[in-house]
Amino acid sequence: MALTHDDVLSILKIIDESPYDEVRLEIGDLKLHVKRRGDSDSLVPVQTVSKSPERQGQGPAEQQRPAQALPPSAMPAHGEQLPIAPTGSQPLPEGLIAVRAPMLGTFYRASAPGEPPFVEVGDKVGPDDTVCLVEVMKLFHSVKAGVAGTVVKILVENGSMVEHGQVLVLIESYQRTPDAAIQ
Amino acid sequence: MRENPIKRLFVTNRGEIAVRVIRACRKLGIETVIGVSEVDRESLGAKLADRVVCIGPAPAAQSYLKGEIAVTAAKGTGCQAMHPGYGFLAERAGFARLCAEHGLIFVGPSADAIEAMGDKLRARKIAEALGIPMVPGTDRVAGSDDLVEFGRRAGYPFLVKASAGGGGRGMRVVRTPQEAASAFEAASAEARAAFGDSTLYIERYLERARHVEIQVMGDAHGNIVHLGERDCSTQRRHQKLIEEAPSPVVDEALRDRMAQAAIRLARHVGYTNAETVEFLLDLDSGEFYFLEMNTRIQVEHPVTETITGVDLVAEQIQVAGGAPVSRAQEDVRLEGHAIECRINAETAERGFLPSPGRIDTWQPPSGAGIRVDSHCYPGYFVPPFYDSMIGKLIVHGSNRAEALTRMRNALANFTIGGVATTIPFHQAVLAHPDFVDGRITTRWVEEKLMRELYQQEPVA
Repeated sequence: MALTHDDVLSILKIIDESPYDEVRLEIGDLKLHVKRRGDSDSLVPVQTVSKSPERQGQGPAEQQRPAQALPPSAMPAHGEQLPIAPTGSQPLPEGLIAVRAPMLGTFYRASAPGEPPFVEVGDKVGPDDTVCLVEVMKLFHSVKAGVAGTVVKILVENGSMVEHGQVLVLIESYQRTPDAAIQ
Repeated sequence: MRENPIKRLFVTNRGEIAVRVIRACRKLGIETVIGVSEVDRESLGAKLADRVVCIGPAPAAQSYLKGEIAVTAAKGTGCQAMHPGYGFLAERAGFARLCAEHGLIFVGPSADAIEAMGDKLRARKIAEALGIPMVPGTDRVAGSDDLVEFGRRAGYPFLVKASAGGGGRGMRVVRTPQEAASAFEAASAEARAAFGDSTLYIERYLERARHVEIQVMGDAHGNIVHLGERDCSTQRRHQKLIEEAPSPVVDEALRDRMAQAAIRLARHVGYTNAETVEFLLDLDSGEFYFLEMNTRIQVEHPVTETITGVDLVAEQIQVAGGAPVSRAQEDVRLEGHAIECRINAETAERGFLPSPGRIDTWQPPSGAGIRVDSHCYPGYFVPPFYDSMIGKLIVHGSNRAEALTRMRNALANFTIGGVATTIPFHQAVLAHPDFVDGRITTRWVEEKLMRELYQQEPVA
């Protein structure tokens, strides 16, 4: 039987509103296994038979090294190594799209102090919706979602410095298109 | 002595000089943050720095040349100072000014001094006013007619040079009136692309000259000392290949005259920090001529460090933090002889064609009197986006003969696999009687050696 994209969304919505953490659905030869994860309130739908890829304890949020200014005491002593910038290619959970900083700069969630943030976790966004700003020397660059979906996580504190390519926001995509935002 | 206000320093450069700056900072107990492009995340500088931030994609125009990004990154990571190394942002007055405006100590001279010396025509005027001899030449030229006119008056060949230039870019040799138009076009286009300024001027192209430069160090207290000369006559298309100190053709009296001219110039522009004043020494007349002043640390600084024992990069950082120059002039002593070979990932016999790629074998020589400054390691990928220099081999001997022998042995024991390098070229130079006897000129590589080695004719 064919399962449409809308069907999946409906199923996810039902599960989201249910009190259960895990649902297994079997209709004929179709098996659907959905697990809810506490850390991000997100649903990670996985169409699976036996091996459901577990999100490792270290999601992108945990690997993220905060980029704000550190007091000298927060720096490691010489000889100890800080990990190399985390913006490389750690695997993202399936279905999540990373919105990355187009340049190094200061991350802002709203257009001005006191204004409401562009997005909150749970908001639905379209590809052209601005999710945040990155500022370099008073020049503000709006960062678009790049994809239609739901904001699942905002990884950076308002006002902190972000690196080129750093993951800022995670969006759960409606479309299963290749991850263009990562490139 | 008051405390150094620099506790954490931002390195806005890559390659061996980034590693060199980080090592100097470690010695001084200063933390480092390095800004890297996407392809330099695995670089040695990134591994050695206390903190790494990615400043942009691989092309330098979008990463290493973005001054506002470097300043934002330095402020955002809590740095007090900015070291620009050489190349990229090092001689951009606007960048030095931007650092100052944001409360960052720029490790280099003031923006005004960079500005005064960065414009070569302006620098020539200053030198002229101070009575420092200059290569005969012109003010700004408007078109190829001016070139033909100069050739008719003063003869060929001559050089047409970018006023904003440096590093051999925006420069052409004109050998016949027929070449004037194309040389003017090419130099002016290159100058506009590289420096955003297509202003050109003419300089006589000396037949038999050596490139001799004086290392100067100044501080905020008005002290200016010189650390002797470097001879960088082994060049190809105005790119230095081998440097040595002392120069085999400079004696005590000449050194003193050149150094005094360099110091006069530095004092006039209120110079602080490390700088180099370049001269051409005309072997026919014995006269030296001012070429330009470079307001930064130079690639070849290790030869000076080797014979003086002064750590120039550490000195730069301390002086930027307000300390006086560590030595008085009378305490500067030149001991023995040093030679540096620039090891580039290039194929000399194919016109020094760059040879980027993965280095699978990297076995540098070691031992007494041998130093290797490099950012490479086994498995390092030499990216195609930047300069092809992969290291500098520096040797020290008690005299020139000993240094030559040591360099020959060190080159023979330097094993690099996976990319072509200029090591065979250096071996050919070190074996050549002209080089051994100190008889080369700035035109020797192109006009003699390349012919002998590879049957290649010189190009303008």
